[in-house]
Amino acid sequence: MTSETKATGPTVVERPAGFAILQIVLIPVIAALNYVTGVIINILKLPLFMDTWATMFGTVVAGVWVGAAGGFLYNIIMAFTLWGLPAWVWGFINVYIAIITWVFWRIGWVTVKSPAKLVTAGILVGVTNVVPVTIISWGVFGLMPTYAGTAWIYAAVLASTNDTLSASVVSSIVAEIPDKLISLILAAVVASRMPARFTLRPPKA
Amino acid sequence: MSSTAFGILKSGYVARNTLVHHLDGRTKFLFFLWISLFNYIFYDLYVTIASFAVVTLLAYVARIQRFVATVLLIIVLPILLLGVGIIGGPFGFAHNKTPIAAMQLFGLTIGLYLEGTVYVSVWTSRLAVTITAAILAYVTTHPSDLAAIMLKSRVPYKFAYAFLATIQLIPILTNEISTIYQAQVSRGLNVQTKLIDRFKSIVVLMIPLTLGAINQTQIRAIALESRGFSAPVKKVMLRDPKLKASDYSVMLIMILMTGVFIYLILTRGLVPFMVGIEYVRPGG
Repeated sequence: MTSETKATGPTVVERPAGFAILQIVLIPVIAALNYVTGVIINILKLPLFMDTWATMFGTVVAGVWVGAAGGFLYNIIMAFTLWGLPAWVWGFINVYIAIITWVFWRIGWVTVKSPAKLVTAGILVGVTNVVPVTIISWGVFGLMPTYAGTAWIYAAVLASTNDTLSASVVSSIVAEIPDKLISLILAAVVASRMPARFTLRPPKA
Repeated sequence: MSSTAFGILKSGYVARNTLVHHLDGRTKFLFFLWISLFNYIFYDLYVTIASFAVVTLLAYVARIQRFVATVLLIIVLPILLLGVGIIGGPFGFAHNKTPIAAMQLFGLTIGLYLEGTVYVSVWTSRLAVTITAAILAYVTTHPSDLAAIMLKSRVPYKFAYAFLATIQLIPILTNEISTIYQAQVSRGLNVQTKLIDRFKSIVVLMIPLTLGAINQTQIRAIALESRGFSAPVKKVMLRDPKLKASDYSVMLIMILMTGVFIYLILTRGLVPFMVGIEYVRPGG
């Protein structure tokens, strides 16, 4: 991609672009980190997804729109490659995760200095995330069991209620709470280890 | 997700000299959107199987059938087996009425039911069709064409950059995590240990990976700025993909088939060919 100069007048820089460009460049890094986490989970044979931790991390270190855009982009890439078109709607989960992480970060709960608040925030993110997950599972997967780790819970609830919605909600709760809790803890730990010179937020006026 | 699936994104564009490769990227992505949409509208196993046969044939023509088969085995097959075992089986799916195969065990009826099995087969076939169409569009379109198509479609160039940069970054970071993993193993990291210790291992792998990526972010930002990335000027493209006669032919076929599908919906409903199977809504 190259650029051609305007025919009229010199370029006028209206505002410093330093942090803006850093944040734009960070978006693909967040998307790629979400993706590569899958490799690590595979290596370590862990029973979780953890493909939203980088969204949380991006939100903490660079702001809500960077985290949301990075997370959404991750889902777009997956939808256009491995998961198929309908899976792009999972991107809204990442947007939701970015917003709720930002809320907890603003009130000072996403910090390793307050472990109790961090754990509470992680559990709340997991519990509230069940709602958008269930809506998407209804529209894209027909409320079918898609994760072997919680399939037995799905089967048990379905057997006792005859209701795929209840089975899907209960198995989502079981999967989402530990997943989002550990993801938020990881995001907070990695953010706490970032040297100050890597700051990605513009200095306050 | 297995390492085989990652291999597909790592490899990205698969260079071949086939009819599918010669099609414009816009045509392929339009086909992807079109076939996905109609597969989710119809609730008919015959329609989805026919669609799957079409996309599989195209994958074969594009000589990417191995890629497609690998991804389907990793992603769709487990969902199909889980779904048939639970929803098609004796676990209480409310619509199950007609047993396909059943046996008595300790006074309980255990077997597969037609309604649940069809329900799962329709949903997983839909997934298989959209995934195959997506792979077909993605791995047969050159990344430079992809960028040009995005800009031509008036996608903001910053988003186009982010999309393409992610595709480039994934193999880079995957290689880096491999290096970091080997370094940590040489320092005593044990991945064959208790679950809690494996969770702790994520931190020692993620911190160097993330800090390295952030460091590169700053270098990348400087490089982009030196090329006038945020300069308020019109961007031009190195490649200029154009629609050809073959693209218009494919689009014409899609328009004709859209007419056929609309006719089927109006005359025979959303279950046009399956006899004796009712439309089952998720959770309904």
